[in-house]
Amino acid sequence: MKTKILALTATAVLALSCSAALADGELHIYNWGDYTNPKLIEKFQKQFNVKVSLDDYDSNETMLAKVRAGNSGYDIVVPSDYTVKIMIDEGLLEKTEPNTMPNFKNMDPRFVDVYWDSGRHYSVPWQFGTTSFSVNTDKYKGPMDTLGVLYNPPEELRGRINMLDDINSVIHGAERYLGFPRCTSDKAQLKQVNDLLEKAKPFWRTFSYDTNVKITSGDVDVTQTWNGMGYRIREKSPAIKFAFTKEIMEAWMDNVSVLKGAKNLENAKLFQNFMMDPENAALASDFARYDNGIAGSHKFLPPEFGNAPEINPPASVKTEFVPPCPPEVLKVYNQIWTNLRK
Amino acid sequence: MAEALARKGLDLKHQPGFHAIAVICLLLLYAPILVLAVLSFNSGDDLVHFSGLSTQWYGKALANEGFHAAATNTLIISVTSMILSTAVATAAALGTTRTRAWRGQGAAFMVINLPLMVPEIITAVATLSFFSLLASLANINFGIGNLILAHTVFCIPFAYMPIRARLEDMDVTLENAAADLYATPWRAFRRVTLPLLMPGITAGAALAFIVSFDDFTITQLVAGPGQTTLPLFIWSQIRRPITPELNAMCSILLGISILFVLASYLIARKRA
Repeated sequence: MKTKILALTATAVLALSCSAALADGELHIYNWGDYTNPKLIEKFQKQFNVKVSLDDYDSNETMLAKVRAGNSGYDIVVPSDYTVKIMIDEGLLEKTEPNTMPNFKNMDPRFVDVYWDSGRHYSVPWQFGTTSFSVNTDKYKGPMDTLGVLYNPPEELRGRINMLDDINSVIHGAERYLGFPRCTSDKAQLKQVNDLLEKAKPFWRTFSYDTNVKITSGDVDVTQTWNGMGYRIREKSPAIKFAFTKEIMEAWMDNVSVLKGAKNLENAKLFQNFMMDPENAALASDFARYDNGIAGSHKFLPPEFGNAPEINPPASVKTEFVPPCPPEVLKVYNQIWTNLRK
Repeated sequence: MAEALARKGLDLKHQPGFHAIAVICLLLLYAPILVLAVLSFNSGDDLVHFSGLSTQWYGKALANEGFHAAATNTLIISVTSMILSTAVATAAALGTTRTRAWRGQGAAFMVINLPLMVPEIITAVATLSFFSLLASLANINFGIGNLILAHTVFCIPFAYMPIRARLEDMDVTLENAAADLYATPWRAFRRVTLPLLMPGITAGAALAFIVSFDDFTITQLVAGPGQTTLPLFIWSQIRRPITPELNAMCSILLGISILFVLASYLIARKRA
């Protein structure tokens, strides 16, 4: 009996490992969890007769660990802005020259000369967003176009605020509010940042990434959050609105990149080009609920999302991508953060 | 054990505070799991407010293709590594108890059980580097076989423990009697040792299955394309807003584990 089961499973395993190799083309994608529209994968499979496998990771670090070890077997990864930079510097990405691909003309010019891949020699936008905050307008009627709502809150919001448990979003926010540069190494400025955070600390109820539940459950009236999440929150409670601030806003972007030595290099390039087609970029956005950096994609979205303020900020809004701070600044950041969170 | 203590006149159940401590322990162990299971029947879409009874999240979880693929992978890997590791562990247990004492037996015992002591993350990194080396030097990649191999290896000590314990408890005179009655060693093993050993083997197999089934650290590092298992799949969902779908997935996982433990318990009882 035992041998029979053994033989059976052995055959099953063999059959399984072979079946993948039988399709005429393959592509192995490694992306953030719950981030990839199954319809998008289906469309790519049909269009190019390529068998796609999709696996998920939970952080840039998990993905990096596996890629650094080598022979991960993946062709496509979707690292965030600063991780793309790290991966290019370490020679982990293939120079696929997306800027020569036919669909490159659709890329929003704002996202071509980015700090992590200037001129777009390696990567293509997947999704991007801004970090700001959402306000329950039933509870707070005052102005919400300033980071002061978080860092120097009016009387009625004190103790009703959730912040992201994220050292960079919180400290960079304080720097923006005070008008200092990001990653400032000026001791006096860092001291002021620390003082501001110390003063605001008693007004902050919680530090949590679970921003949706925090605010829709009524636990808080303001929460730091990302624009796509702000959209989901407003879908659930229409009175809770995403804020655009007069201070410059934090932005981030995840990017479709090809691993060096990818076995299915040509299919991976096809996928990069595929993702610069507005219709396909819209498919990705429709699932992940963020904007995608490809011009003309909004008209392929359901109108309630395509026209949503969260992904159509007012023209006056300025955003910035922030490269990681140098180690000596990070050291001070960590001290400030530890002090704040203890 | 409670019975043994009771016979010695040290009835644990009558010690002061026994009930309170027992209740606290049970509560700490099971209350979170209970909350998880109850919220999986929530009709609303968050984890804090119970808005009504519904099985919609189970429907969603079961219709989720990623969940299907992950469940299939997990079952293939766990069942195969359970069978392989139990077979190896049974052989190892026999070799370390049913033979004349041999040189290095103590060392062998230690080597077999070492994976239990080594922090999992070290095994994980070591396994990852091993397979990566294999792939770059010899261009060998077993696909999902990599995971099965890794799981089999770390499941062996878990399967070995109960099997060896059972062997040590078993009366050797029965096997000797069989031999006296002209049973060949193989026949004695088939008709005497193996049936008596079965509860140990089932217990070992169940342990190996569960350990493989919910392994995260090693799997996360070793898994290649298309080899996402259930624990990996569930973990990767956490970054996004958590809905009771996740609770439903966890409850399904829990249900499978409970069924498995129950089945092995029933089999063991019947054999015993």
